[in-house]
Amino acid sequence: MSTIIYAQNYSLMELMAAAIAREFRDQETAFVGVGPPLIAAMVAKLTDAPNLTIAVEGGTIGSSPRRLLTCIADTTICERAYSCGTMWRNFGDQQRGFYDVGVIGGAQIDKYGNVNATALGDYNRPSVRVAGSGGANDIGSSVGRYSVMMRQEKRRFVERVDYLTVPGYLDGGDARIKAGLPGGGPHGVITTMGIFRFDEESGEMYLDKCHPGITPEKVKENVGWDLKMAPSIGTTEPPTQEQVEIMRVLDPYGLYLGSGREGMGDVEKGFDFYMEVLDKSYDAMTELFRQKGL
Amino acid sequence: MKKLSKPAVNKVTTLKEAVNRFVHDGSYVSFGGIGDRTPTAAVHEVARQQKKGLRLASDTSVSYVHDSILIGLGLVESFEIAYNWGGIWGPDAVYRRALEKGIPKPIKLEEYSNFAMGMRLLAGSLGIPFMPVKSLLGSDIPVHNTRIKFMNDPYGGEPVALVPAANPEVAFIHVQRCDVMGNAHILGHLGNDDSLARAARNVVITTEEIVPTDEIRRNPNLTVIPYYCVDAVVKVPFASHGRGCPYYYSMDVPFGLQLAEQWGTEAGFNRWAEEWIFKVDDWDGYCRKIGWERLTRLAEVERRHQQYGEAR
Repeated sequence: MSTIIYAQNYSLMELMAAAIAREFRDQETAFVGVGPPLIAAMVAKLTDAPNLTIAVEGGTIGSSPRRLLTCIADTTICERAYSCGTMWRNFGDQQRGFYDVGVIGGAQIDKYGNVNATALGDYNRPSVRVAGSGGANDIGSSVGRYSVMMRQEKRRFVERVDYLTVPGYLDGGDARIKAGLPGGGPHGVITTMGIFRFDEESGEMYLDKCHPGITPEKVKENVGWDLKMAPSIGTTEPPTQEQVEIMRVLDPYGLYLGSGREGMGDVEKGFDFYMEVLDKSYDAMTELFRQKGL
Repeated sequence: MKKLSKPAVNKVTTLKEAVNRFVHDGSYVSFGGIGDRTPTAAVHEVARQQKKGLRLASDTSVSYVHDSILIGLGLVESFEIAYNWGGIWGPDAVYRRALEKGIPKPIKLEEYSNFAMGMRLLAGSLGIPFMPVKSLLGSDIPVHNTRIKFMNDPYGGEPVALVPAANPEVAFIHVQRCDVMGNAHILGHLGNDDSLARAARNVVITTEEIVPTDEIRRNPNLTVIPYYCVDAVVKVPFASHGRGCPYYYSMDVPFGLQLAEQWGTEAGFNRWAEEWIFKVDDWDGYCRKIGWERLTRLAEVERRHQQYGEAR
């Protein structure tokens, strides 16, 4: 075993993406949603989980692209895939039990890991409306286990979500099983401040790890209920040098993990910049995949 | 009952004619695609013809090239949907204004999950009234959408949620290649378009290319939609511009980011619609406005990175 070399310089998003990457294991099939989880899954594949298969809602299974993924159904996701089929069939495979792990995001989460991805406030006249379930409800219902990526804010970590889009452990205990949900439920919550897990009996969320420089008290201030703590709170493992290098190859302009979108929004130069992004990431990723024998 | 299957004849027409013929005020319409291969040219034509009181149904709609255009123009009465947002281009201000403030007018919302919408279209395509799913259970989605029902499996006793079949009156589906009678090849992921084509009463195919039937016959496994589902075939290259079309052209992210910014305010959205929909005659006019050079570069970059039948 070679020694693990941790990165000295990394951003919060890179720390979170590395933590998400560690939620995947080799030889698993992952149902992955849009955004940073896509990068995290690719990082996992290029490090500890070379046989991780990525399935997405568009209908593709096992894509292994050499460009940055921008969506769960962009042209890139077809690149070097095992299979391109239908949306309902992939969700059916998940309901049948083929998919081990999922990652979703949300606008609000509660102490039993229920996620709101629909509306804040009154559903019929929301104060903030967001996208809606998409596949999140299905992932939460059926995948083997799933993790949630969240911004740590008191208004987002609430006793009970305003709208329950994705079932966590519902009211706790065996409520999930009684409801008839086939999937295993939430496994972790990775936030801007720490990592949370769930009590196996009660289904209640507890703080397991704090990111470097963050105290449990600070986390507690940003949670809207009386948060339970692990007997001993660890520190989140920083990203390794390799993980960070891979992220910067995957997303050289920081489209997900930095400020890359700003460069593209420029009316004059945006398009040339974008063409450069597509080509640059392609050559670098091709090289990376070759090095990894993938 | 009117015969559902369509004849094996040349169905090539224009988008103007197809929209005029099949979409009416109050029509129940579904635009296919998911993330890419969006029938955006068709959305624009429906908007241009100001069809009102539309009832829309989608699984995942990428706002900026899809249903939100019609919502922003006040042409939508109701919306059956799992996910409507801008993806990497950012939040959808038009959808937010409609649901938070009723601007430009309130819409009736009927929400599902992606799997549930897929199963609704599958049920519709099979000619059966509903499908059971193991999603939606325990969530608030059925609390606000009473068309979702529950029952216990009559064989084993486990709870299941039931979702009603969806049979849109008109479906618009964009494909890479198609013959003149409507046998359509789709390359890449399919979304739910195979079901949608069979569930809908009338189907309009827009296609990047029209190919000879012998070319279809050479690769019959690629035919996702057989001609008997199809009423009209329209050749519309770059019909998904903004988003991409697998093996044909990549997503235009900078265009989307600028569009998202313009949609930020109601006035900005209206200016955008005036400029990009109402002041051009058709999709060809839109393409000329975008610039053929830009479109060609999007096609070249896609083909540089992947071509159908190759794994690099």
